[in-house]
Amino acid sequence: MLKGVHQKLEAQQTPAFFVRGPSPFSRMVFFCALSVSIMAIDARLNYLSHVRQAFIAALHPLEVLANAPSEWYRNINKYFSVHNQLVQENYALKQQAFEHQVMLQRLSTIQAENVHLRSLLNGDIPIQPKAVLGEISHMGRDPFTHTVVVNRGSQHNIKAGQAVVDSNGVIGQVTRVYPFTSEVTLITDKELSIPIQIERNQLRAIAFGEGNNTLDIPYLPANVDIKVGDKLVTSGIDGVYPAGLAVATVTKIEQNSESPFAKIVSTPVAGVSNHLQLLLLELPEAKESDKPQTASAEVIEHKKDNVNLNKNKAKTNATH
Amino acid sequence: MRHTSLVTVYLTFLIAMLCQLFPWVGQGIIFRPDFMLVVLLYWLLRAPNICNVGTAWFAGLLVDLATGSLLGQHALSFSITAFVALSYQRRLVLFNSWQLTGYVFALLIIERVIILLLKLFEGNENPGWHYFWPIVTGLLLWQLMTLMFGELTRPKTK
Repeated sequence: MLKGVHQKLEAQQTPAFFVRGPSPFSRMVFFCALSVSIMAIDARLNYLSHVRQAFIAALHPLEVLANAPSEWYRNINKYFSVHNQLVQENYALKQQAFEHQVMLQRLSTIQAENVHLRSLLNGDIPIQPKAVLGEISHMGRDPFTHTVVVNRGSQHNIKAGQAVVDSNGVIGQVTRVYPFTSEVTLITDKELSIPIQIERNQLRAIAFGEGNNTLDIPYLPANVDIKVGDKLVTSGIDGVYPAGLAVATVTKIEQNSESPFAKIVSTPVAGVSNHLQLLLLELPEAKESDKPQTASAEVIEHKKDNVNLNKNKAKTNATH
Repeated sequence: MRHTSLVTVYLTFLIAMLCQLFPWVGQGIIFRPDFMLVVLLYWLLRAPNICNVGTAWFAGLLVDLATGSLLGQHALSFSITAFVALSYQRRLVLFNSWQLTGYVFALLIIERVIILLLKLFEGNENPGWHYFWPIVTGLLLWQLMTLMFGELTRPKTK
């Protein structure tokens, strides 16, 4: 009798009370497959950037809420800053502004001279990029990447690829743009490389981020003319970073007898962790960069005409 | 099974998300516990009728979107961890609180290791031992969760 009951129980399906839909294992397999396919799509194709943008836009209020405590803290600090300190700071800033103004006066004459000389040599006239002031709202949340998030986005005409600098030097490049914020990848990130030039001897090279807070300059021969303390500036050959911005200083050079290349380590000069304000430089547009070339081409033609005229004049003079 | 309201569960998820979005600076990001994961594990073990592998997947996807990492990484690691967590869920009543803490510790390690593997495949460098700090802080957060919402283990009989 008892045996029969057991058999009956075994034959039965699990009672509805215990039924929880598909088993966790099958769910796990399904969702793993789903996430792997999403990863593949995200890594190889660019379909999901819109999804990401929409989500970040929707998340913006929550983000503002999460940022609120630190914002309050900053404001309270500002509110209670001492009068004496403010006066001193004001004085120092005025002095700095005065010094900068004097330097700027010289700069403008030198710039005019440079433009003139370049036009004489039929060279391109460099364009001054416009810039937007932004503020770091927080560091990136992924500890594997070196990013900061800035409070300027596509609503402020920020585009991916723009160079980002602060008062000391280059910080990095805009990599993702959301409606109200954008993600700036620092030059120390492994994914980013930056064309540089050694200020002392104009040697060009490319610096790569190392993933920790340093830059690496590979593929330079062991006997290369670089010293510890050399300043690295942007070379401007990429068309993203304007030439002459400070990037890093060389801190260590290792010459290994086994390797034909020197191991050169440098640390960035820009202080991302020190202050919040930074400048997002506008990308040089392709059309605009073409304009000066055509202008110079016109100048060349004009000059040729002049030369021809002069020659003709000379000829006519000679014949006379 | 004790009754847990749906509102409590989703409210804690929202708070966890807020903590995740909090602007962590400098050393903070090293020690930051994985808020979403700990909250998720707690509700998975406490109320498996509300939370499931699917919930874990969605929570992971939200974390991916918020952190800006490759979409699907945390979704994958959360689903696998949720599966492991659920497979022993019915035996939890036999555990004492130390064993339960050990179990959660193991789950947190599993999640971290999966993320580490995915990141290494992606071409990132080995981040070093400090990468595992969130496990320790996550355990502290777990203790906080049990303080706030009650122990998972069987209450001691006299």
